[in-house]
Formats: sequence, C-alpha cells, structure tokens
Amino acid sequence: MSDVSSRTGPVHYVEVDDALCTGCVLCMKVCPTKAIRVKAGKARLEGVCIDCVECVRACPEGAMKALTHEDFTLEESSNFTVSASTVIYSQFGENVLPNDILLGLKRMGFKYVHDQSYTSEMFSFALGLHLRESRKIPDSPFPLISPVCPVVVRLIVHRFPSLFKNILPLATPREIVAREAKRRLREKYGTPSEEIQVLHVTPCPSKMISIIEPLSQTRSYLDRTIGINRIYEPLNRSIQEVDEDRVLHYSSGVGLGWGMPGGEIAGLEMNCLAISGLQETILYLEKIEMGLLQDIDYLELRTCPEGCLGGPFTVADKYLAKNHLQKLIQIFGTKTRVKYDYIIKLYKKGWFFADRKPDRLVKKPSQRQINQRIGRLNRVDQILKTLPRMECGICGSPDCRTFAEDVVDGKARMEDCLLLHERTGK
Amino acid sequence: MPAHGIPQLKRSFKIEARDFLRAGEVSLQVQRTLKNIGFDEELVRRVAICAYEAEMNVVLHGGNGVLTLTIHSGNIDLHVVDDGPGIENIELALKEGYSTATPEQREMGFGAGMGLPNIKKNADSLEVESGKGAGTHLKVMLKVTKNGGDMSV
Repeated sequence: MSDVSSRTGPVHYVEVDDALCTGCVLCMKVCPTKAIRVKAGKARLEGVCIDCVECVRACPEGAMKALTHEDFTLEESSNFTVSASTVIYSQFGENVLPNDILLGLKRMGFKYVHDQSYTSEMFSFALGLHLRESRKIPDSPFPLISPVCPVVVRLIVHRFPSLFKNILPLATPREIVAREAKRRLREKYGTPSEEIQVLHVTPCPSKMISIIEPLSQTRSYLDRTIGINRIYEPLNRSIQEVDEDRVLHYSSGVGLGWGMPGGEIAGLEMNCLAISGLQETILYLEKIEMGLLQDIDYLELRTCPEGCLGGPFTVADKYLAKNHLQKLIQIFGTKTRVKYDYIIKLYKKGWFFADRKPDRLVKKPSQRQINQRIGRLNRVDQILKTLPRMECGICGSPDCRTFAEDVVDGKARMEDCLLLHERTGK
Repeated sequence: MPAHGIPQLKRSFKIEARDFLRAGEVSLQVQRTLKNIGFDEELVRRVAICAYEAEMNVVLHGGNGVLTLTIHSGNIDLHVVDDGPGIENIELALKEGYSTATPEQREMGFGAGMGLPNIKKNADSLEVESGKGAGTHLKVMLKVTKNGGDMSV
C-alpha cells in the first residue's frame, strides 16, 4: 500500500494500478462524486474524492487501491498506546470476550491498552444531554448529524456545505480516548504529549485520512492507524496465549454495539434515525438540505453497508459479526454502566466537545457566474437531447448527463459517444 | 403576477399519481438543479419545499402531472399541472389543517393539511386554478433577490 501522507497536490484517497485496470466502467459508475473517468482504457481520478472506497469494492480486478499511511510495524508496539474501534469485539467469534481481546493487545507488547466501548457509552449519554439542551435553544439546526464516520463529514464538506452546522459538535469516542490517554500520561508521569503516540485499530481507511486531514476538527489526537485485517492474525495468536485475568473492559452492551447500525443511538429516548449505506446517506443529506426531517433530533449516518461492521478492513463477515455483537449485548446487558452525575459534570465542563473548526463560509457566486452556469446548463440540456441515453459509460464519462457536461467544459468530445457515432455515421 | 424577464432555463418533470416509491424525486431534481447553479441556499430550500409539497399533492390527490421549473432573471417559477379531480373549495384548501386525505394516507404520515399553506408560506406568490373535475394548475413564484448571488459584480 502506498503512503498518502507524503503526497502533495489535490488529495485522492484511492489510486489505480494501471497494470491491473482493464478499463471497464464499474468504478466510474459507483463513484458518488463522479470523480472517475476512463481515459485511454484506464480509470483516472479527476474530481473530488471523499474516500468512500465504493470503487475499491466495485473493482473485480483489484485495480483500485485505498491509499493509507500504514507504515506501522508491530516491532514499534512498545512505543504505542493502542485503542481499537469497538468493531474489533465482533471479529473473533462468540467465545472471545472483549476483555480477552484487550488482554491480547496488551500481550502483543503495547505500552498501554484503552477500551473504546466505555467511552462510547459515555458519549451516548452525553449525546442525549446535548440533544435535549440544543432543543431548548431557538433556531438551532436540526437534525444534528453524527461526526463519527469521516466519509460523512467529507461528503458534507464537499457536497453539502450548508449542513456543516448540523454536524454534532462533540468529539468522537476515538478522539476522546486518545486525548484522555495523552492527558493522563502527561499528568501522571509528566510525559510530554509529543512523546505519547496513540495507535487506532480501525475497520476502514477513512480514519487514517481523518487524522491527516481532519475536516471538522482543528486537529486529531490520534497518531497512527492500522487496519483490523493487518493486526488480526498476530492478535488472534496473542489472545490464545493470554495468561492473566486483569479487567480492562468495563462497558455494558450499549458501548459494545457501537459498530453496528443503530449502535450509536441505542438507548436514546430522542427521535433518532440510523442510516447506513452510501446512496441512502446521500439521499437523507439531500432531504435535510431541503428542510425536511427537522422534527428528527439526530441522524447516525454510516456510508458502509451494515455500518462500521462492513468496513473494508474488517475480517469477519459483516452479518456474522453483527450476530456476535448481538450475543455480546445479551451477555453484558443494555443498561448503561456510566455514572450519570459524573457525565453531566463532564458535559458542563465541556469535556465532550471537539476543537471544532469554525463554520465554513460558502462563497456565494456572483450574478455573472450564476448566468454563466445557467448558460452552461442550457447547453448541457441541448446536448443531452441528442444523446442516446443508454447510460453505458463507453465514452469514458459515468453517465450521459455528465458526458454532456464534460463536452461543454471541453473535457470530452461528441465523437467519444460511440453509440451516437454509430447511429449518425459521424 | 409581476413582469417576467426572459426565461433563462426551463425544465419539466413528470409526476405520477400514487407512485409512492418515487415520490419526492422531482423536488430533489429541482433542488439539485438550483444548487448546481449556485443560488442562495435559503432560496433553494424554499423552492425545493414548494416543489415537494406540490409534488406530494399530485401523488396523493391528483392525477398524473407535470412540474415545470422556469428560471427568469429576477424570479423562479414552478408550474404544476395535473389532470386529477381538482379542488372543490380552494379557499378551504389553503387553510392550515384542512385535508381531504384518506385514512390510509394519514396512516402513511400525510394529510396534515399543510401542503398548500406551506407553499403559500415559502413562496412570494401562489395562484391556484382548479375546480371540481377540472384538474389543478398551481403557479408558484419566488423572487430572486440579491441573495441569489452578489449583484455587485
């Protein structure tokens, strides 16, 4: 895998392996931002990439590769504090309990191991508090949108900037775990922050991107990431060899279920919806932009199918993983173990809030620009009328409308439409 | 109706009665078109919500219909024509809370009687031409003020 952190220029989070690319249209067809074109028989990235990895999933040849900064090697473990996504608790089958996994991580040589499920449980409680508080403030934006999935945040920034204000201002559990791990080490042992490195074990590459380029926060407290798939085998061996019985896991089922759809909003009394899958996510963002759903308090949005359990770096089948989580929730119960008074105190202190970037000001186009764009749309509509509308993608653009736009913008020629060429003989 | 400038862009969309699967799609198209052009987000939202209410009216009560979006230099028009049963009492239909939705439609979450009133609230002008058995023609107009873009350039 290539390193994205050293790249300059416009950031794309996937790259094409030309040796494997057969020039078919599958990746181009699934791209939600229409950022891919097929030129001279190879896929090319041209527009804004939101790191949803739909193209990686769609490519039958394995030619689309997620860019990461996975330069982490297990030999470095002793320098790192590790915190794993709660998805990890679903990956080892029903006979392995969360505490076994945390002890397994500890045995691998990490300096400190932090459980994320308890922090997630605290977050859920604070989320309920925040939603109730926000309802009291007139004109505050609703529904609020979960900040947890970095692809959703990226989608909002690039395609729905007017919804930036709807992103929940709380820090995500993974960021709170890292922030608090650093603070505690600093206060207890006087370790300087820059010497404390926190590694996040993740089900998806977008977490890496959110560290390099956080879009809604001013900074990330996490330092490195490793995919669950890359740590899986050594961790599995380590779990088998665990020979101590310390307790590192404290959460109930509320925190454990976080990785699956609906996990973030489980137990909340407010009107919350959980939506997973990219197309559905986009549809609901469009509805919110239209002003619908204002009676809904909160949307948990995840662009992967079956939420984080469907992340590209997971190992277990997503439906089996869900089954395991459901069994864990039965074992650990759905009654939260966090102390209410304590959370309320922390919330009032601002403990849960993110270092948010200021709301983005969307630059308004001038009247001349608006007129130009209307002119462009008219030309696009005119070209579209002459096209066969088979939506085949052979021209190298994802659909007929985008092809017409590309022609107007000078990025494609009418001759590129082979069907039209065949019909008219031109 | 105020004097219109030269139409700059015209797009028509078909709406099918009782097609709940695709209901809302036309207003999303309207929203996407205006957003793409770069109109002020608040204006886009107001036009889209008018389109949404009009579309849902056709899906729920009307026959098959057509929504036409026309952009003029100073205003945006939505004309929605359907060949449904028409509105018997327009004055009553414009009142908040009045609805002729069936119990089944109410169970689906519609029929709060806010459709036309909501258009009236969001639009700069609304004209309803209808009668029993005569279909319905809605003429919705929203002004493009300087918020539509910075006129100074």
